[in-house]
Formats: sequence, C-alpha cells, structure tokens
Amino acid sequence: MAPKILIVEDEPNIVVPLRFLMEQNGYSVHVAATGEEAVASVPEVAPDVVLLDIMLSGMDGFEVCQSIRETPEGRSARIVFITAMGRDVDMAKGLALGADGYITKPFSNAEVVEKIRGLIDLSQ
Amino acid sequence: MSPKNKFWWFAAVSGVLLLAIFTTISVLLWRQLDPSHHAALIDIFKNHFAYLFITLFLVLTGFVFALDAIFHNYIIPVSRLAEETRIMSSVNASHRIQIEGSSDIVRLAKAINDGAESFQKLRRDVDKKIREAKSEAEEEKNLLATFMAELPEGVLVCNMEGRILFYNKRSRTFLERGAPEETEWGEMAGRFIGLGRSVFGVIDKNLIVHALDEIAEKLDQKEDSFATYFVVVGEGGRLLRAEAVPIVSREIRGPRMTGFILIFEDITDEVESERRVEFLLQSLLRRFRSSVAGIRSAVEAIRDYPEMAATQREHFRQIIHDESVSLGTLLDNTAAEYAGFVKSHWPAVRISVTDLFETVKPKAAEKIGVTLTIEPPPEPYPVEVDSYATTMSILFVMERVRNLTGANEFTCAFDRRDRFIHIDLSWEGDPVRIETLRQWESRPLTVAEEGIGLTLREVLGHHDAQLWCPACREPSSRSSIRLFLPAAEKTAKPTTAHAVTISSESRPEFYDFDLFNQPGQNPELDNCSLRELAYTVFDTETTGLNPKTDEIISIGAVRIVNGRLLYRESFDQLVDPRRPLDYDSIKYHGIQPDMLAGQPPIQRVLPTFHRFAEDTILLAHNAAFDMRMFQVKEKETGVRFINPVLDTLLLSAVVHPAQDNHNLEDIAKRLGIRIVGRHTALGDAIAAGEVFLRLIPLLAKEGVRTLKDARMASEKTYYARMKY
Repeated sequence: MAPKILIVEDEPNIVVPLRFLMEQNGYSVHVAATGEEAVASVPEVAPDVVLLDIMLSGMDGFEVCQSIRETPEGRSARIVFITAMGRDVDMAKGLALGADGYITKPFSNAEVVEKIRGLIDLSQ
Repeated sequence: MSPKNKFWWFAAVSGVLLLAIFTTISVLLWRQLDPSHHAALIDIFKNHFAYLFITLFLVLTGFVFALDAIFHNYIIPVSRLAEETRIMSSVNASHRIQIEGSSDIVRLAKAINDGAESFQKLRRDVDKKIREAKSEAEEEKNLLATFMAELPEGVLVCNMEGRILFYNKRSRTFLERGAPEETEWGEMAGRFIGLGRSVFGVIDKNLIVHALDEIAEKLDQKEDSFATYFVVVGEGGRLLRAEAVPIVSREIRGPRMTGFILIFEDITDEVESERRVEFLLQSLLRRFRSSVAGIRSAVEAIRDYPEMAATQREHFRQIIHDESVSLGTLLDNTAAEYAGFVKSHWPAVRISVTDLFETVKPKAAEKIGVTLTIEPPPEPYPVEVDSYATTMSILFVMERVRNLTGANEFTCAFDRRDRFIHIDLSWEGDPVRIETLRQWESRPLTVAEEGIGLTLREVLGHHDAQLWCPACREPSSRSSIRLFLPAAEKTAKPTTAHAVTISSESRPEFYDFDLFNQPGQNPELDNCSLRELAYTVFDTETTGLNPKTDEIISIGAVRIVNGRLLYRESFDQLVDPRRPLDYDSIKYHGIQPDMLAGQPPIQRVLPTFHRFAEDTILLAHNAAFDMRMFQVKEKETGVRFINPVLDTLLLSAVVHPAQDNHNLEDIAKRLGIRIVGRHTALGDAIAAGEVFLRLIPLLAKEGVRTLKDARMASEKTYYARMKY
C-alpha cells in the first residue's frame, strides 16, 4: 500500500504543486486547509508523513503538531514543518515539539521528496 | 554735649582747680608769716589794691585765652576727628575730614584721610572683582541652566541617599505625574520630582540599588566606563532609557561615590519604530517566502515532469503568474508602509513651507546672487524638516540651475496633493534633464563652498522627499523643478483656561484640630532650625466651612526648601466634590461647577497630595481647618497626614501679639507682601509661604529658632487666643 501523506497548508498555490509532486512519487495524498481539519482527519487517514505549515489561520502548526502527537495514529506519524519564517528559533521550537524535519519556503521539490523518502524508509 | 557747653565746663573746671591751688598756697603762706607780716600784707593790699587787681585780671585773662586756644585747637578737633572717622568707616566711605586746628591735628586728619582713601580704593577694587566674578558665575549658571533646560534628555542629580540635588525640566515631563491616573492596571497615585525629594518616589528603589551596585563593581574593577543602564516606564507609559553615572570624589583610599547622575532618554518612538520595522520585515519575509515557494515548486514540477497533462501545466502556469503578481503588490505595499515610518534620528522641526522659503530667500540673494519670488499658498502647509539641510538642498539646486541655464530669477509656488506638498521652482529658460538631475543628486551638497557632507539624495531620502523635473516645457517659456515634501500631521490644540472673579472675604479662624501632637514629630526634626527644614505650604478651597459636611474642591501647594519658595514645584489640583456647589460659595473661591466636572475625586487626589507632602513639615494659614478636612477623609482615602504642622496664623500672633488681625491679607500687608491670586488654593498657599519666610527672622528675635520652639510658641498663643 502506498504511504500516506497529509499536507496541512492553507495556500492552494503551494498545495497544488506539492500534491502533484507527492502523487508523481507514488504517495497517497490527503490535504487539510486548516489545523482543526488536520487534527480531525488524522485518526481516519493515519498518515505516514504530515507536511505541516506553521502559519495557519486558527490553530497554528505548533498546536497541530502537539495535538497530532496526542492521538495513537499520530504518534507514529513523521511530522515535517514547512515554514516561511526561516528563523532558527522557530526551527528549534518545532523540533522540540517532536517534529522530525523542517523545510523552509521556498524549497526545491527534490529536497522535499528526498526528505519524505528518507523518513518513510526510516519507519519501515 | 555741644562744644560750647563743653568749653564752659572745661573753663569752669580749670578755673575752680586754679582757684583751689591759689587759695591753698595763700593759706599756707599766711600761716607761716608773723602777725607783723600779716599787718604789712594787709596794708599793701589795702593801699595798692588797684595794681594787684589789674595784675590778677591780666593773669586770668591770659589763662582764659590759653584755655580757649587749647580747647579749639586740640580738644574739639580731636572729638570731631573721632566722629568723622566713624562716618567714614560706617556710613559714607567717600567722606573726608575737613578740619581746622593745630598743625599736629591737621597732619593727623590728613593721615586719616589718606588711609581712608587707600582703603576705599582697595574696597572698590575688591567690589569690582567680586562683581565681575559674580556676573561671570551668573552667566555660567544661566548658560548651564539654559543648556540643561533645553536638553532633550532628562537629568537628575542625587546624593547617595537618593535625595534629588538637581533636576531639569525634561526630567519632570518624563517622570512626574501631577494628578492621579486610572489605568488598566488600576489606580496610579501622583509622583513628584523636587529638590530634596527622594528619587525613589519616581523610580523603583530596587532598580537604582541594582544600578548603584553595578557601578560600585565597575569602580572596584577600575573599568574605563562607570556608566550603567536600565529602562524605566515614565509618565504616560513612555519608555525611558536611564543612564546612571557616578559622581566620584578622589580620595586617598581610592575613588568614592558621593552621588549619582541619572540621564533619561525617551526611547519610545525608537523602540516603537524598531518594532514596526521588525514586524514589517518579518511579514514581508514570510509572505515573500510563501509566494516564491509556490512559484519555485510549480516551475520545478513543469521542468521535472514534461509529460504532465496540459490542464495540469496550465494550472501551474496560472499559479506562477498569480504569485508573481502578488509578490509585486507585496513589495509596493511594504514600501508604502515603510515610507510612513517616523525617522526618529534625523532632526526635524515643524515649519510652514512659506517660512522655510522665506529663510531660503535672503541666503539665495547673498550666497548665489539669485532672486526668489514666493507665491503665497492658500494655507500654510506645514512640513517637518531639518531646515538647514533642506535650505542647503534648495540653494544647491538653484545654483546648479543657474550655472546650467543662466537663469537668476526664480519663482516658487506651492500646492498640496494627498500627503505631499508640491513645491514648484520655476525659471525662464531651458529645462533640466532627468539624467542631469540624477547626477546632481549623487554629488555632495555644497553651496558657495559651504557643505554639509551629505549628498542631495541622502537629504531627500531622509525627508522621504523627491525631486522631479517635468520633462516637457510648459506652454510658456518657463521650466520648473518640483520638490515633493511629505506634509506634517496636524497636532491638537491646547485647551483654554477659565476666567473667574474672586471676592475678598476670608474664612474664620478655626480651632478644631490638635496641631501640636502629630505622630510625625520627632526630636531630630524638632531640633532643626526653621530655615533648614523642608515645608509643604498648602491651602484648600472647600464647598463650605463645616468639615463634617463640606467637601474639598481644590488643593494648592508649593514647597519651601532651604529657605526658598520653589514656585515651580507646585501642586494645583481641582477636586470633584461629588455634590452640587452652593451658589454663595462660588464668590469666595471662584470655582465654577463646570470646572469640576471630570476632575478626580478626593479619594484619588488626597493620596497624591500625601505623596507630594512626604517628608516635609505641613504649613498652612489656619492649618487646623485644612487638617481637619483631611482628617475627616482619612477612612475614605486611606491616607493619614502624620507630618508635623505649623500655622502661619499662630506664628504671626507670636511675632505681633498686639495685633488683632491675623488673616492672611493683613499679615501680608504688614510684612510688605503682595498677594497674587488670592482665594485660589495655590495663590493662598504661595502667600502663606512668603509670609512664613518673612516671619522666620522675626521669630528668631523672639528666640523662636527651631521647629520645637515654633510649635511651643504657637501652642501658647493658641491657648491664649482660644480664651477669647
């Protein structure tokens, strides 16, 4: 079965290329536009990797990360933050909250694919 | 004794003495002679009386003349000499002795005159030197005072106990809260800066102690700079950076801190603008990264998956286009927002454009020989500029235009469009090309060899200004250059004061408060002389004369420190009595009901006044009344005035027990004081203060010198007056 990716991102112009990219690499992709939606969909989707934007309206990425980690399905998921802030302090905070990786916008597609592949290999 | 009487006394005494000697010798001679000789002598007397008498008369006359001569040449001149010398030494130093007498006396008078002359000359020299030194010191003092007053920083100088020895105006604007304030964190009582006050009243003690510890450490370590910094919140929530610098006296055992200077700088705008720039930058970065991420990801997908469906590719192209457009908009918005920021470090004065160009006009004529005609604008457009740099920029441009086109008559006109003032500088002749203007902008600003080391572009940039030359010629043969200057924001107008009329009757004397057993009295204060104590002299205006039912509507006070009335350290606060005013009472205090609306209530004012009066002796005219008013409010306000109290009414009665009238007006008149603002709380407080200062020397004559003396003397007259 194809590994499942949950993309949590509220900007469609980033979601579209990311979804395309993931699908081209053979992953099954789910998209959540808000943090609340993401937390709600985790038990159902049971994603292998969550690509999580930090700046979301409503619940922010840090809160979403924490909530996902509290569900049984979410505990085993790999969480990668995508951020437009690019400050060391945000990176440190994300990793401290139990994230597995960190990608700064703008990113190269290859970088994303590589990171996700690495994480999936690690869990198998 | 007059000289004439003196002479007769002198003559009489001398005559009697002479007679006594003559008689004694005669009697002794008579006793040693035989009776026959007696008979012979009597016979001679009887027969030749005329000869004897004439001889005696001549001898006596000679004697009287001799006396007269001695008297006029020695005795009178000597006593006049003494008198006139006394005049010279005490009343009139330029008086000189003009005397007739013996040559010895005249020589003596001349010697005294010479002495006086050289003494006077010496004194004149010394006086002149003192005057010079004084005026020099005064000048220096004024210079320092002006300098301090105009400093943009607040300055406080304190001794090691934290007593304020010096302050400037700015430090009061920064830190003082004259009236209580309700803030979101609750009630804030007033806080005050004044000579002799504790600095801990305005700045948290821990902050200062910490700063002083740091300085002490630095002094121990012999570091180069002893200054230390902290941040405090000032009046109105302003953020102040405080620099603490020690005052160090060099002693044998090493440097010792004897006090410290606090220098306050308002960094609110700086911090605020830094914060806004930071916020702007962060949001720019975030949105920029997001858009570029979308573009990059889409571009890479198109590149890496050439076989993707056409609709998919089209979708990605759309994303790239949309994000590129939104990036453009983002940059525009950010630039516009940034332009609105205050440039806090560049000096700017508010001035109308016409005034600005009026200062340019004479300089244009004088420095570069061109005439400038100003077309007055419909309203005085205000701008905020560094007027020197702006003036130089305008002159610089005019000089270049003249060199380029030969024009030496310029006209300037003004117009306002949105937030910019347009200033059009026009002349008869060729226009300036845009690339020429750009060259000018990059050159250092110099006008007739006077330069400021900045380029025109830098000056324009700092003012957020732009220079532009309309490319096409106008229909006429005139060309122009347009300067865009941002218009200054409008500021609020100050509120207007009330005018009142005042009646001149006074409150009756009041004896319902024990002035003499205040808990704040202590032996240390008691032994201080009246001149060296710090006082808060105050007065209240009330709705009526019954402390139980009437309310305070105004408190005014000033401080007396080191025998000086500090007019600038005053307290002047109206109080909302929370009840209607009797119409009758208005004529006594002149306070109209609408003046009290919106004023703080006594529950907030009294704690503030309590702080104002901290560590001082309370002083008032008929103090018992005011103290009783305060006492009645003790429970409601939670403050108790334990300060020792003195009453000018009682002190005046100590000095002038025979006078009946001890109301403030009569006392002031007796002591030669003019009251300004009678029956306003502050005016009466100032009058009472002046009265007190005049009373101090009079009290000293009665042996009343210390606080204790004053209180005991007051108590005595107090009971004396109560009997009436």
